[in-house]
Amino acid sequence: MSSDTKFHVHHDAPEVVGRRERLGVRLLIVADGAFVFAMIFSYFYLRNLDQNGGWIPNHGHTLKAITGWLSILPLIVGALVHKLAQRDPSHQSSFSLITLVAYLYGGYYQFHQLANMPFIDKDSGAFEGAYASCWTVIASANMFHYIVAGFIALGLVLRSRRANVNPILESWRIRTAASWFTWIAVSGVACAITTSFI
Amino acid sequence: MTTLDQHVGTRPIPNPKNSLITRLNVGTGLIVGIIFAIATYQGLAKVLDTSVYHLHNQVLLATMFMWSIGFLVGIGAFIGPIRWLIGKDLTAEEQLYMAGDGQGIKRYFKYCTDHKVVGIQYLWGVIAMLAVGGIMAMMIRTNLANPGGKFITPSVYNSLVGLHGITMIIALIIVATGPFGNFIMPIMIGAADMAFPRLNALSWWVLFTAIPVLCSAWFLGGIPTGWTAYAPLSVQAGPGMNAFIAAIIIFAVSTAVAGANVTATVVTMRAKGMTWNRVPIFVIGATTSVALAIPAFPTFMLSMIMTAMDRSFLTGFFDANVGGTGWLYAHLFWIMGHPEVYVILLPGVAIIMEVVPVFVRKPLFSYTAAIVGFAGITGLSILVWAHHMYISGWMPMLNGPFMVTTEMISVPTGLIFLVILGTLWNGKPWLKVPMLGVYAFLWNMLVGGITGLYLSDVPADMYLHGSMYVTAHFHYTLMGAALTGAVAGLSYWYPKMTGHMLHERASYISFWLVQIGFQILYLGMFIAGAEGQPRRVVDYAQQFATSNMVSTIGAYSIGIGFIILLWAVIHSWRHGKIAPMNPWGAKTLEWTVPYPVPLVNFDTPPVVTSDPYGYGRSAK
Repeated sequence: MSSDTKFHVHHDAPEVVGRRERLGVRLLIVADGAFVFAMIFSYFYLRNLDQNGGWIPNHGHTLKAITGWLSILPLIVGALVHKLAQRDPSHQSSFSLITLVAYLYGGYYQFHQLANMPFIDKDSGAFEGAYASCWTVIASANMFHYIVAGFIALGLVLRSRRANVNPILESWRIRTAASWFTWIAVSGVACAITTSFI
Repeated sequence: MTTLDQHVGTRPIPNPKNSLITRLNVGTGLIVGIIFAIATYQGLAKVLDTSVYHLHNQVLLATMFMWSIGFLVGIGAFIGPIRWLIGKDLTAEEQLYMAGDGQGIKRYFKYCTDHKVVGIQYLWGVIAMLAVGGIMAMMIRTNLANPGGKFITPSVYNSLVGLHGITMIIALIIVATGPFGNFIMPIMIGAADMAFPRLNALSWWVLFTAIPVLCSAWFLGGIPTGWTAYAPLSVQAGPGMNAFIAAIIIFAVSTAVAGANVTATVVTMRAKGMTWNRVPIFVIGATTSVALAIPAFPTFMLSMIMTAMDRSFLTGFFDANVGGTGWLYAHLFWIMGHPEVYVILLPGVAIIMEVVPVFVRKPLFSYTAAIVGFAGITGLSILVWAHHMYISGWMPMLNGPFMVTTEMISVPTGLIFLVILGTLWNGKPWLKVPMLGVYAFLWNMLVGGITGLYLSDVPADMYLHGSMYVTAHFHYTLMGAALTGAVAGLSYWYPKMTGHMLHERASYISFWLVQIGFQILYLGMFIAGAEGQPRRVVDYAQQFATSNMVSTIGAYSIGIGFIILLWAVIHSWRHGKIAPMNPWGAKTLEWTVPYPVPLVNFDTPPVVTSDPYGYGRSAK
């Protein structure tokens, strides 16, 4: 049990806080990476097993491989633009806005794909097979990535327009955000490669 | 980010006027959580036909998740992120308020960021879960006392087995890293707090929201699947299964957050001079455990998401009719499931290694071997999962390799054993309660480990799999070793956490009742299992009657022992003998701070100049 003694507050060095935050985010990326790996493992496991011919049943629908790539393209664009923001802090606000727009568009596009999946039986509401199931869980994970990235990008945009943030610490935040943006682009590419094997 | 990291003087109690955080607590969390849950249920029930199985599952799952989100909104968990989003960071005064500065007992019911408060919250959470899981165990054993037991119905028995299992697994995952990893570990490494104090509070309160969700399974028809929730049984189970799924997903989020926080704290916030070979062994064990949990639990989370999708959206991950397979579930589950055993075990082992040098006044025998042991167990634990699937029919040609990796794990485990024995060797043990835990641990771990070798062996496993022998084996490792280690840790660190000594006589009585009862219970179960009694079955043949009666007697002894320990914990908290600052004469940093531990732990940041187990040696 801690005491009620009163204490003074002071600031840790921004570099120390920045490094700490970046490590924390990278550890969370490890967790997310395990999740993405498990999804990809599941996709190929069910695809290669093709239990009872149910990977893609007769008359089952599939999506073209390009669909997966189109849905993750904004993830790549967002990560690349954010890299530019790191290199040119004077235009960080504008770059962050472009990143945000990329993620918002990507999120919308992914949502649109999910809302218009062709492989749900209209009468029973059931999915057509294992391919359809795996595609849906991968697309949903991408959607989750867009939501988190959108939140971070929105924060960077709003914060870049306020004067009372510590610029050194904020630059560390941008680097920390870069870790996440890079990771979700990598994971998006991995998922797009996966769904290219229909 | 502003952190509380130096004690500089006195200041008024923080009172950030007009700040929302001053008005939020568990009460507001419960109110908002319940409102969210009711609104979600009522809203969705109007648009979805709840008489349809999968639509009903959608409504229930959404209700449970919205309860969790609503509670977190109501307690103020999202204030920090929202304030970050809009660029209006929390002020220093607000951060002090969130750290519970000057708020007495109220801070235990708030979104408090002080790691010591979070540690105490975890402690009582763990005690509550162990109590509930223990009561379920007593009901199971009471029914099994005689063949044809009528104490509970078969369906209730089925649910009890699963709920007991998952409650205890969750409790044991956090039993050491929750209370001691939060309260003690930052002080042990000379840090002022955890790396991410708000995430620390988040990990606890997220877990807190999972508890009522899991309990709701009881009112939704229970879970008939056991704690492993194998598909496709779990896909076909009743509405109670939704509670299990939601609780696991919420718990996985809590675990990831806690794991990242603990690891980042140890890596980046150690005191000056605390090089890696001077880090206390408990810190190494706890960090290894949570670092292992970070990649392990997401696979379990995915398996639960897939189960939820199969149940709620009629996908086909585990349904063989539409291209799915139960093997996929088994893989995803056990890729988490076996590392999870070591997530539970390592902190308990590390506590024992922390206690031994203190109570025999000798340096830890081969610190390096201990590290190699931890690393070996961690590395191998991710390569053994399919030994749980020997008889599932999946890839019989791989049974051999998985048998080898499983048996190899006994090598690093043996190293750890040797470290403890080497430390004990020629020592003069001070036989206090924590030290008794060391001996109990050694015996239980020995039995659990050796019986595990039989189960790792394919031919023996063909016979023993699915029998009470397996139940006895994993109880020896998880309860006999890990929980015994945690109880040793409780009696060891209780003075630092409460300012009082744990009632000694009651602790001794509890120890002997629990340990003797434990041997009676599980040795009886080994016999029944070796003779062929299947596990998870409500009734059994007359030939197992004696061993089951013996086991039930042992269970009651354990139950009484833990009730006495609970009494000792509660009684000593207020009426126990006042503890000196360092009652055991230990050398780690947590014993250099007074009770109550200051908000930022140390008046001046400590500098470490020697290893933590240098008993009988000059500082180096």
